[in-house]
Amino acid sequence: MALIRAEGLGKSYGATRAVDDLSFEVHPGSVTGFLGPNGSGKSTTMRLMLGLDRGDGATTYDGRTFGELDHPMRHVGALLEAKPFHPTRHARNHLRMLAAPNRIPDSRVDQVLDMVGLTTVSGGKPGKFSLGMGQRLGIASALLGDPDTLILDEPSNGLDPQGITWLRHLLKHLAGEGRSVLVSSHLLQEMAVLADELVVIGRGRMIANGPVADFVTGSGLGAVEVRTPDAALLAPALTALGATLTEEGEVLVVRGATAEQVGEAAHDAGARLHQLATRQATLEEAFLAATGQSEEFRGTSGDGA
Amino acid sequence: MIDALRYEYMRLRTIRSTYWLLGLALAFQLVLALLLAWSIADSDLTRSADGTFSTLATIGGSTGAPLLMAYIVGLLGVFSTGHEYRHGMIRATLTALPRRPHVFLAKVISTAALAALTAALCVGIALASIAVFGLDMPSGGELARVSGGVVTYTALFALSGLAFAAITRNQTAAVALLMLLPSLIEFIVQAIVVVIKTNSDDPQGKGGVVVILKFLPYDAGSQMYVESSIKGFVQRALGAEPFGALGGGLVMATFVGALLVISYALFVRRDA
Repeated sequence: MALIRAEGLGKSYGATRAVDDLSFEVHPGSVTGFLGPNGSGKSTTMRLMLGLDRGDGATTYDGRTFGELDHPMRHVGALLEAKPFHPTRHARNHLRMLAAPNRIPDSRVDQVLDMVGLTTVSGGKPGKFSLGMGQRLGIASALLGDPDTLILDEPSNGLDPQGITWLRHLLKHLAGEGRSVLVSSHLLQEMAVLADELVVIGRGRMIANGPVADFVTGSGLGAVEVRTPDAALLAPALTALGATLTEEGEVLVVRGATAEQVGEAAHDAGARLHQLATRQATLEEAFLAATGQSEEFRGTSGDGA
Repeated sequence: MIDALRYEYMRLRTIRSTYWLLGLALAFQLVLALLLAWSIADSDLTRSADGTFSTLATIGGSTGAPLLMAYIVGLLGVFSTGHEYRHGMIRATLTALPRRPHVFLAKVISTAALAALTAALCVGIALASIAVFGLDMPSGGELARVSGGVVTYTALFALSGLAFAAITRNQTAAVALLMLLPSLIEFIVQAIVVVIKTNSDDPQGKGGVVVILKFLPYDAGSQMYVESSIKGFVQRALGAEPFGALGGGLVMATFVGALLVISYALFVRRDA
């Protein structure tokens, strides 16, 4: 099982620093989500990791760089492009071509075609494939060498909901077998249920790296919801704790204090509680808060505002 | 390196353009060689066996026309690297084969070998056409000279196509360069040199600007198979002696070699 270790990755395009001193690890047995706004350097980082782009730093797979691996597809499976194939080379032949230099038998080609559900169109021209079918072919090529490491750039692009669910189960299963999986995606809800760990970048720089739960909790967007007929008694007690309070209808939203702290403060202040609940921040909220200042491209609402 | 050659072998085998380009080259050669052989057999004019062979083997290229097979097979060279960029295959290729020098060398070897093999088959078709119409077979010396020239020229021509595509990373631009440089650009250079020379103080004198004509790579390379009476006609008319088969071949090989060195350097250094 391979430990991916990226150290000091960097890349400049002219005066623009696209990736700046990124270091992180992807551990065996886990799915690591790679998040960042558009133009934040995710794809560039993945290309650097695979030696496709020239830049600073190094990435090793159990101590060896990608270029040092013999038959690399047997160690690292990668998906970087939406449709990385010749439009008229049959899907099966496309995989056979990639398999040949890696000494992968044709039986494995048929196996991965079956895994991704393309067996019935294996003799078809990929140029006529939908985006989702093309993506499945790309995933098949990544799985071709039965690698212990997967690096997938937006693999769910173009997949329908069933396809996304299939991909989630597949990647979780592969990680469960002890493989290292690094996957980028813009589907934050999907990433919330798929990823164990996160690498979050903005403008090419590291924003956060660690377990998903830590990232969400650390965002400070979690809150405690309180319904009480004695708000006048409770509010000063909570303010004294350093918490901030906002009213949402009948609900008092408390930030900066745990549910335990709120309960004890209410007890001490003699305030009756009708409801005490914890509101978890979502990955999307945490991500937007973390990367809000790192957007490379920002649109308007379309109303001239 | 063997792995890279396996990849190239599969790449060539699994794409249609390989078959239709080779088929087109051989079909043109077959049809035109048979027509020319029939025409010569039917003619009352006496023609040397060597001249007949060189005409059939090159489909008129030995008398100064462009070498048709080279232009067709040259596209294989363009596609060798051009497809990688046009269809976004380069990243898939380099994740399957990260050692770029091996990838590039395998492309050079496969392109040269396939072009040479096709040219050799075209020569074989010419010999078969001679046999079908009962014409005299060429001398051993002429057979070796023309065959060697055609095979070498075609292989170098295809390699220049590979290099153009690798340098420009644009298949359309590479095709345009491969088609226009030998047939149009060199012709324009020749025309300019003729104008300069004939308007100079010494239009009959040797040397001067006409030396340039000896170094036009594709024209120089064609001297490997052009009939000796036609070799360097323009140069001689302007008072310059062409390099001949060996020298001309070296000029073309040097040019193509330089293109390959540049394209290799770019291929291994550029972002994929």
